[in-house]
Amino acid sequence: MNDNDVLDQVRESVSGLSMHTPVEAIRAKARARRRRRISGLAAGGVATVVAVAGLFAVIGGRDTGSPANPGVARLAAFSLGGGPGGATLTLRKGAQYRLDPDALRQALAGRGIPAVVNVGSMCDSVPEPQGLDQVISSHRDADGSVFTTFDVAAMPAGSMISIGYFPTHTEFALIEEGAPLHCSTSPNPGSPPAATGDGPHAQPVTPEQGTTP
Amino acid sequence: MRIEGVAREQTEFVAFYEASRDVCLRAVAASVADRQLAEDLVAEAFARALTSWRDVSRHPAPRAWVVRTALNARVSWWRKRRREIPLADHDVATADPPGDRLDTTVIAALRRLPARQREVITLRALLDLDTETTAKVLGVAPGTVMTHMSRAVIALRRELEQPNTPTTMEATK
Repeated sequence: MNDNDVLDQVRESVSGLSMHTPVEAIRAKARARRRRRISGLAAGGVATVVAVAGLFAVIGGRDTGSPANPGVARLAAFSLGGGPGGATLTLRKGAQYRLDPDALRQALAGRGIPAVVNVGSMCDSVPEPQGLDQVISSHRDADGSVFTTFDVAAMPAGSMISIGYFPTHTEFALIEEGAPLHCSTSPNPGSPPAATGDGPHAQPVTPEQGTTP
Repeated sequence: MRIEGVAREQTEFVAFYEASRDVCLRAVAASVADRQLAEDLVAEAFARALTSWRDVSRHPAPRAWVVRTALNARVSWWRKRRREIPLADHDVATADPPGDRLDTTVIAALRRLPARQREVITLRALLDLDTETTAKVLGVAPGTVMTHMSRAVIALRRELEQPNTPTTMEATK
Protein backbone atom coordinates (compact mmCIF):
# COMPACT_ATOMS: atom_id res chain seq x y z
CA MET A 1 0.00 0.00 0.00
CA ASN A 2 1.64 3.27 -1.07
CA ASP A 3 0.90 6.78 0.16
CA ASN A 4 -1.73 7.43 -2.48
CA ASP A 5 -3.53 4.22 -1.57
CA VAL A 6 -3.72 5.35 2.04
CA LEU A 7 -5.10 8.75 1.09
CA ASP A 8 -7.57 7.16 -1.32
CA GLN A 9 -8.84 4.97 1.50
CA VAL A 10 -9.29 8.04 3.70
CA ARG A 11 -11.29 9.76 0.97
CA GLU A 12 -13.29 6.65 0.25
CA SER A 13 -14.20 6.19 3.92
CA VAL A 14 -16.45 9.27 3.85
CA SER A 15 -17.18 9.59 0.16
CA GLY A 16 -20.80 8.53 0.51
CA LEU A 17 -21.71 11.35 2.88
CA SER A 18 -23.71 14.32 1.74
CA MET A 19 -25.14 17.14 3.77
CA HIS A 20 -28.91 17.43 3.87
CA THR A 21 -29.34 20.71 5.76
CA PRO A 22 -30.90 23.24 3.37
CA VAL A 23 -29.35 26.66 3.08
CA GLU A 24 -32.55 28.15 4.54
CA ALA A 25 -31.80 26.34 7.81
CA ILE A 26 -28.31 27.80 7.81
CA ARG A 27 -29.76 31.26 7.31
CA ALA A 28 -32.18 30.69 10.17
CA LYS A 29 -29.33 29.68 12.45
CA ALA A 30 -27.40 32.76 11.42
CA ARG A 31 -30.42 34.95 12.13
CA ALA A 32 -30.73 33.37 15.57
CA ARG A 33 -27.10 34.16 16.27
CA ARG A 34 -27.63 37.77 15.25
CA ARG A 35 -30.71 37.96 17.47
CA ARG A 36 -28.65 36.80 20.43
CA ARG A 37 -26.16 39.54 19.79
CA ILE A 38 -28.88 42.16 19.46
CA SER A 39 -30.74 41.02 22.56
CA GLY A 40 -27.49 41.14 24.51
CA LEU A 41 -26.98 44.76 23.52
CA ALA A 42 -30.57 45.73 24.29
CA ALA A 43 -30.99 43.64 27.43
CA GLY A 44 -32.31 46.53 29.56
CA GLY A 45 -35.08 47.43 27.16
CA VAL A 46 -36.12 43.85 26.65
CA ALA A 47 -36.26 43.19 30.38
CA THR A 48 -38.55 46.17 30.87
CA VAL A 49 -40.95 45.05 28.19
CA VAL A 50 -41.03 41.52 29.54
CA ALA A 51 -41.66 42.72 33.08
CA VAL A 52 -44.61 44.84 31.95
CA ALA A 53 -45.98 41.97 29.89
CA GLY A 54 -45.65 39.70 32.90
CA LEU A 55 -47.62 42.15 35.04
CA PHE A 56 -50.49 42.17 32.57
CA ALA A 57 -50.37 38.38 32.45
CA VAL A 58 -50.73 38.15 36.23
CA ILE A 59 -53.63 40.57 36.26
CA GLY A 60 -55.36 38.93 33.33
CA GLY A 61 -54.83 35.37 34.42
CA ARG A 62 -52.52 33.12 32.48
CA ASP A 63 -54.21 29.79 31.99
CA THR A 64 -57.62 30.80 30.85
CA GLY A 65 -57.24 30.74 27.12
CA SER A 66 -55.12 31.54 24.14
CA PRO A 67 -55.04 34.97 22.54
CA ALA A 68 -55.84 33.48 19.15
CA ASN A 69 -58.80 31.50 20.45
CA PRO A 70 -60.06 33.30 23.54
CA GLY A 71 -62.91 30.90 24.02
CA VAL A 72 -60.74 27.78 24.09
CA ALA A 73 -59.62 26.67 27.53
CA ARG A 74 -56.09 25.32 27.87
CA LEU A 75 -55.01 22.58 30.23
CA ALA A 76 -51.93 22.82 32.40
CA ALA A 77 -49.05 21.08 30.68
CA PHE A 78 -47.29 19.90 33.81
CA SER A 79 -47.88 18.31 37.15
CA LEU A 80 -45.36 17.92 39.91
CA GLY A 81 -45.28 15.29 42.61
CA GLY A 82 -42.76 13.52 44.83
CA GLY A 83 -41.45 13.95 48.36
CA PRO A 84 -38.71 15.92 50.09
CA GLY A 85 -35.38 15.76 48.34
CA GLY A 86 -36.87 15.01 44.99
CA ALA A 87 -39.66 15.70 42.55
CA THR A 88 -41.36 13.97 39.67
CA LEU A 89 -42.36 16.23 36.83
CA THR A 90 -44.90 15.10 34.27
CA LEU A 91 -45.00 17.06 31.03
CA ARG A 92 -47.72 16.84 28.43
CA LYS A 93 -47.70 18.07 24.86
CA GLY A 94 -50.42 18.96 22.45
CA ALA A 95 -52.56 21.84 21.30
CA GLN A 96 -54.81 21.53 24.35
CA TYR A 97 -51.92 22.07 26.76
CA ARG A 98 -50.20 25.26 27.68
CA LEU A 99 -47.10 25.43 29.83
CA ASP A 100 -46.93 28.36 32.20
CA PRO A 101 -43.18 28.70 32.75
CA ASP A 102 -43.60 30.83 35.86
CA ALA A 103 -45.92 28.34 37.47
CA LEU A 104 -43.52 25.49 36.75
CA ARG A 105 -40.57 27.50 38.01
CA GLN A 106 -42.41 28.32 41.23
CA ALA A 107 -43.52 24.73 41.71
CA LEU A 108 -39.97 23.47 41.26
CA ALA A 109 -38.66 26.14 43.63
CA GLY A 110 -41.14 24.86 46.20
CA ARG A 111 -39.39 21.50 45.96
CA GLY A 112 -36.00 23.08 46.39
CA ILE A 113 -35.15 23.00 42.69
CA PRO A 114 -34.06 26.36 41.27
CA ALA A 115 -34.90 26.44 37.60
CA VAL A 116 -34.97 28.55 34.48
CA VAL A 117 -37.95 27.59 32.34
CA ASN A 118 -38.52 28.67 28.77
CA VAL A 119 -41.17 27.83 26.23
CA GLY A 120 -39.81 27.60 22.70
CA SER A 121 -36.23 28.29 23.68
CA MET A 122 -33.47 26.73 25.71
CA CYS A 123 -30.75 28.33 27.78
CA ASP A 124 -27.34 26.94 28.70
CA SER A 125 -24.51 28.39 30.69
CA VAL A 126 -20.80 28.36 30.13
CA PRO A 127 -19.35 26.86 32.20
CA GLU A 128 -21.93 24.16 32.65
CA PRO A 129 -21.98 22.06 35.83
CA GLN A 130 -21.31 18.33 35.52
CA GLY A 131 -23.65 15.61 36.66
CA LEU A 132 -26.94 15.98 34.80
CA ASP A 133 -27.24 12.20 34.61
CA GLN A 134 -27.20 11.98 38.40
CA VAL A 135 -29.80 14.72 38.80
CA ILE A 136 -32.33 13.80 36.14
CA SER A 137 -33.81 10.52 35.06
CA SER A 138 -36.83 10.08 32.85
CA HIS A 139 -39.09 7.49 31.33
CA ARG A 140 -42.16 7.47 29.13
CA ASP A 141 -45.36 5.76 30.16
CA ALA A 142 -47.49 3.64 27.86
CA ASP A 143 -49.89 6.53 27.33
CA GLY A 144 -47.07 8.74 26.11
CA SER A 145 -46.71 10.84 29.25
CA VAL A 146 -43.09 11.65 30.03
CA PHE A 147 -42.00 11.49 33.66
CA THR A 148 -38.85 13.29 34.69
CA THR A 149 -37.47 12.74 38.17
CA PHE A 150 -35.13 15.21 39.85
CA ASP A 151 -32.78 14.24 42.65
CA VAL A 152 -32.18 17.48 44.51
CA ALA A 153 -29.36 16.03 46.60
CA ALA A 154 -27.39 15.26 43.45
CA MET A 155 -27.48 18.84 42.19
CA PRO A 156 -24.04 20.45 42.35
CA ALA A 157 -23.82 23.46 44.65
CA GLY A 158 -24.73 26.67 42.85
CA SER A 159 -26.43 24.89 39.97
CA MET A 160 -29.89 25.28 38.52
CA ILE A 161 -31.99 23.27 36.10
CA SER A 162 -32.66 24.79 32.70
CA ILE A 163 -35.78 23.53 30.95
CA GLY A 164 -36.64 24.22 27.33
CA TYR A 165 -40.19 23.23 26.43
CA PHE A 166 -40.68 22.73 22.70
CA PRO A 167 -43.72 21.45 20.80
CA THR A 168 -42.19 18.05 20.16
CA HIS A 169 -39.76 17.55 23.01
CA THR A 170 -38.32 18.98 26.18
CA GLU A 171 -34.67 19.71 26.86
CA PHE A 172 -32.93 19.80 30.21
CA ALA A 173 -29.51 21.03 31.25
CA LEU A 174 -27.67 22.02 34.39
CA ILE A 175 -26.63 25.64 34.45
CA GLU A 176 -24.46 27.58 36.82
CA GLU A 177 -26.23 30.23 38.86
CA GLY A 178 -25.00 33.68 37.89
CA ALA A 179 -23.15 32.49 34.78
CA PRO A 180 -23.90 34.03 31.37
CA LEU A 181 -26.74 32.22 29.65
CA HIS A 182 -26.77 31.27 26.00
CA CYS A 183 -30.33 30.87 24.81
CA SER A 184 -31.50 29.55 21.49
CA THR A 185 -34.88 29.18 19.93
CA SER A 186 -33.61 26.32 17.80
CA PRO A 187 -34.81 22.94 19.06
CA ASN A 188 -31.89 21.34 17.30
CA PRO A 189 -29.99 19.35 19.94
CA GLY A 190 -26.88 19.59 17.87
CA SER A 191 -26.64 23.33 18.05
CA PRO A 192 -23.64 24.19 20.13
CA PRO A 193 -23.73 27.08 22.57
CA ALA A 194 -22.69 30.47 21.33
CA ALA A 195 -19.01 31.13 21.71
CA THR A 196 -19.53 34.67 22.88
CA GLY A 197 -20.49 35.73 26.36
CA ASP A 198 -23.50 37.78 25.39
CA GLY A 199 -27.01 37.20 26.69
CA PRO A 200 -28.59 37.14 30.13
CA HIS A 201 -27.30 35.58 33.33
CA ALA A 202 -28.61 32.63 35.30
CA GLN A 203 -30.59 33.98 38.22
CA PRO A 204 -33.59 32.57 39.99
CA VAL A 205 -36.40 34.57 38.40
CA THR A 206 -39.51 35.65 40.21
CA PRO A 207 -42.85 35.66 38.38
CA GLU A 208 -42.86 39.45 38.47
CA GLN A 209 -39.73 39.46 36.35
CA GLY A 210 -41.48 37.74 33.49
CA THR A 211 -40.92 34.51 31.69
CA THR A 212 -37.63 35.10 29.96
CA PRO A 213 -34.51 34.79 32.09
CA MET B 1 -26.00 50.52 -2.50
CA ARG B 2 -25.74 48.71 0.83
CA ILE B 3 -28.72 46.51 -0.04
CA GLU B 4 -26.99 45.47 -3.25
CA GLY B 5 -23.89 44.58 -1.26
CA VAL B 6 -25.86 42.46 1.18
CA ALA B 7 -27.63 40.68 -1.67
CA ARG B 8 -24.30 39.97 -3.34
CA GLU B 9 -22.89 38.56 -0.12
CA GLN B 10 -25.93 36.33 0.29
CA THR B 11 -25.54 35.04 -3.25
CA GLU B 12 -21.86 34.40 -2.71
CA PHE B 13 -22.55 32.56 0.50
CA VAL B 14 -25.21 30.34 -1.05
CA ALA B 15 -22.83 29.40 -3.85
CA PHE B 16 -20.11 28.68 -1.32
CA TYR B 17 -22.46 26.57 0.78
CA GLU B 18 -23.70 24.50 -2.13
CA ALA B 19 -20.19 23.87 -3.38
CA SER B 20 -18.61 23.15 -0.01
CA ARG B 21 -21.12 21.53 2.29
CA ASP B 22 -20.47 17.90 1.37
CA VAL B 23 -16.72 18.31 1.45
CA CYS B 24 -16.86 20.00 4.85
CA LEU B 25 -19.24 17.36 6.18
CA ARG B 26 -16.87 14.59 5.13
CA ALA B 27 -13.90 16.28 6.71
CA VAL B 28 -15.69 16.77 10.02
CA ALA B 29 -17.24 13.30 9.96
CA ALA B 30 -13.79 11.82 9.58
CA SER B 31 -12.83 13.44 12.87
CA VAL B 32 -15.96 12.96 14.97
CA ALA B 33 -17.05 9.55 13.58
CA ASP B 34 -20.72 10.42 13.87
CA ARG B 35 -22.62 11.39 10.76
CA GLN B 36 -25.45 13.31 12.44
CA LEU B 37 -23.15 15.05 14.87
CA ALA B 38 -20.95 16.07 11.95
CA GLU B 39 -23.96 17.53 10.15
CA ASP B 40 -24.98 19.52 13.24
CA LEU B 41 -21.46 20.84 13.68
CA VAL B 42 -21.03 21.80 10.06
CA ALA B 43 -24.44 23.50 9.93
CA GLU B 44 -23.52 25.59 12.95
CA ALA B 45 -20.14 26.42 11.46
CA PHE B 46 -21.73 27.56 8.19
CA ALA B 47 -24.16 29.72 10.18
CA ARG B 48 -21.20 31.34 11.88
CA ALA B 49 -19.55 31.77 8.50
CA LEU B 50 -22.64 33.55 7.22
CA THR B 51 -22.72 35.96 10.16
CA SER B 52 -19.07 36.82 9.45
CA TRP B 53 -19.13 36.24 5.72
CA ARG B 54 -17.20 39.36 4.85
CA ASP B 55 -14.22 38.08 6.83
CA VAL B 56 -14.62 34.40 6.06
CA SER B 57 -14.83 35.01 2.33
CA ARG B 58 -11.38 36.61 2.49
CA HIS B 59 -9.89 33.71 4.42
CA PRO B 60 -7.18 31.83 2.50
CA ALA B 61 -9.28 28.67 2.73
CA PRO B 62 -12.90 29.31 3.71
CA ARG B 63 -13.69 25.59 3.72
CA ALA B 64 -10.93 25.01 6.22
CA TRP B 65 -12.36 27.83 8.33
CA VAL B 66 -15.71 26.04 8.39
CA VAL B 67 -14.16 22.68 9.26
CA ARG B 68 -12.02 24.08 12.05
CA THR B 69 -14.95 26.08 13.42
CA ALA B 70 -17.11 22.98 13.37
CA LEU B 71 -14.55 20.93 15.23
CA ASN B 72 -14.01 23.68 17.76
CA ALA B 73 -17.72 23.95 18.46
CA ARG B 74 -17.47 20.80 20.53
CA VAL B 75 -21.01 19.63 20.21
CA SER B 76 -19.99 16.34 21.78
CA TRP B 77 -19.40 18.31 24.95
CA TRP B 78 -22.86 19.81 24.59
CA ARG B 79 -24.65 16.55 23.91
CA LYS B 80 -23.29 14.82 26.97
CA ARG B 81 -25.06 17.34 29.13
CA ARG B 82 -28.39 17.71 27.45
CA ARG B 83 -31.34 15.41 27.69
CA GLU B 84 -33.87 15.33 24.95
CA ILE B 85 -37.15 13.52 25.38
CA PRO B 86 -39.13 13.06 22.19
CA LEU B 87 -42.81 12.36 22.58
CA ALA B 88 -44.48 9.17 21.53
CA ASP B 89 -46.74 10.96 19.09
CA HIS B 90 -43.84 12.78 17.53
CA ASP B 91 -41.17 10.09 17.51
CA VAL B 92 -39.41 10.15 14.21
CA ALA B 93 -37.02 7.52 12.98
CA THR B 94 -33.92 9.30 11.80
CA ALA B 95 -32.07 6.60 9.99
CA ASP B 96 -29.20 7.73 7.85
CA PRO B 97 -30.07 7.93 4.18
CA PRO B 98 -28.68 5.14 1.99
CA GLY B 99 -25.05 5.74 1.22
CA ASP B 100 -24.47 7.86 4.31
CA ARG B 101 -22.11 5.36 5.84
CA LEU B 102 -18.72 5.74 7.38
CA ASP B 103 -15.97 3.19 6.95
CA THR B 104 -15.31 2.58 10.61
CA THR B 105 -11.99 0.87 9.95
CA VAL B 106 -10.50 3.99 8.44
CA ILE B 107 -12.30 6.33 10.82
CA ALA B 108 -11.02 4.41 13.84
CA ALA B 109 -7.51 4.62 12.44
CA LEU B 110 -7.89 8.36 11.89
CA ARG B 111 -9.14 8.88 15.42
CA ARG B 112 -6.09 7.14 16.83
CA LEU B 113 -3.81 9.71 15.20
CA PRO B 114 -2.57 12.65 17.28
CA ALA B 115 -4.91 15.60 16.80
CA ARG B 116 -2.49 17.64 14.73
CA GLN B 117 -1.73 14.77 12.36
CA ARG B 118 -5.44 14.12 11.93
CA GLU B 119 -6.04 17.79 11.22
CA VAL B 120 -3.29 17.86 8.60
CA ILE B 121 -4.53 14.77 6.82
CA THR B 122 -8.09 16.09 6.89
CA LEU B 123 -7.09 19.38 5.31
CA ARG B 124 -4.76 17.81 2.79
CA ALA B 125 -6.69 14.70 1.79
CA LEU B 126 -10.31 15.74 2.22
CA LEU B 127 -10.20 19.47 1.51
CA ASP B 128 -7.43 19.14 -1.07
CA LEU B 129 -5.43 22.00 0.41
CA ASP B 130 -1.82 22.28 -0.64
CA THR B 131 0.99 22.30 1.88
CA GLU B 132 1.36 26.08 1.86
CA THR B 133 -2.32 26.77 2.50
CA THR B 134 -2.52 24.07 5.14
CA ALA B 135 0.43 25.68 6.89
CA LYS B 136 -1.28 29.09 6.77
CA VAL B 137 -4.53 27.70 8.12
CA LEU B 138 -2.81 25.92 10.99
CA GLY B 139 -0.32 28.70 11.65
CA VAL B 140 2.69 26.43 11.31
CA ALA B 141 5.61 26.14 8.92
CA PRO B 142 5.19 24.17 5.68
CA GLY B 143 7.89 21.78 6.86
CA THR B 144 5.83 21.01 9.95
CA VAL B 145 2.85 20.18 7.77
CA MET B 146 4.95 17.81 5.69
CA THR B 147 6.28 16.10 8.80
CA HIS B 148 2.79 15.60 10.26
CA MET B 149 1.51 14.37 6.92
CA SER B 150 4.30 11.85 6.55
CA ARG B 151 3.84 10.50 10.07
CA ALA B 152 0.08 10.32 9.66
CA VAL B 153 0.32 8.33 6.44
CA ILE B 154 2.81 5.89 7.98
CA ALA B 155 0.58 5.37 11.01
CA LEU B 156 -2.54 4.92 8.88
CA ARG B 157 -0.83 2.45 6.59
CA ARG B 158 0.27 0.40 9.55
CA GLU B 159 -3.27 0.36 10.94
CA LEU B 160 -5.00 -0.36 7.66
CA GLU B 161 -2.71 -3.23 6.75
CA GLN B 162 -3.58 -5.08 9.94
CA PRO B 163 -5.98 -7.91 9.09
CA ASN B 164 -8.10 -7.85 12.29
CA THR B 165 -9.93 -4.61 11.76
CA PRO B 166 -13.70 -4.10 11.89
CA THR B 167 -15.70 -4.04 8.69
CA THR B 168 -17.69 -1.18 7.25
CA MET B 169 -20.80 -0.44 9.23
CA GLU B 170 -23.31 2.29 9.78
CA ALA B 171 -22.04 5.47 11.27
CA THR B 172 -22.16 5.66 15.04
CA LYS B 173 -25.04 7.45 16.66
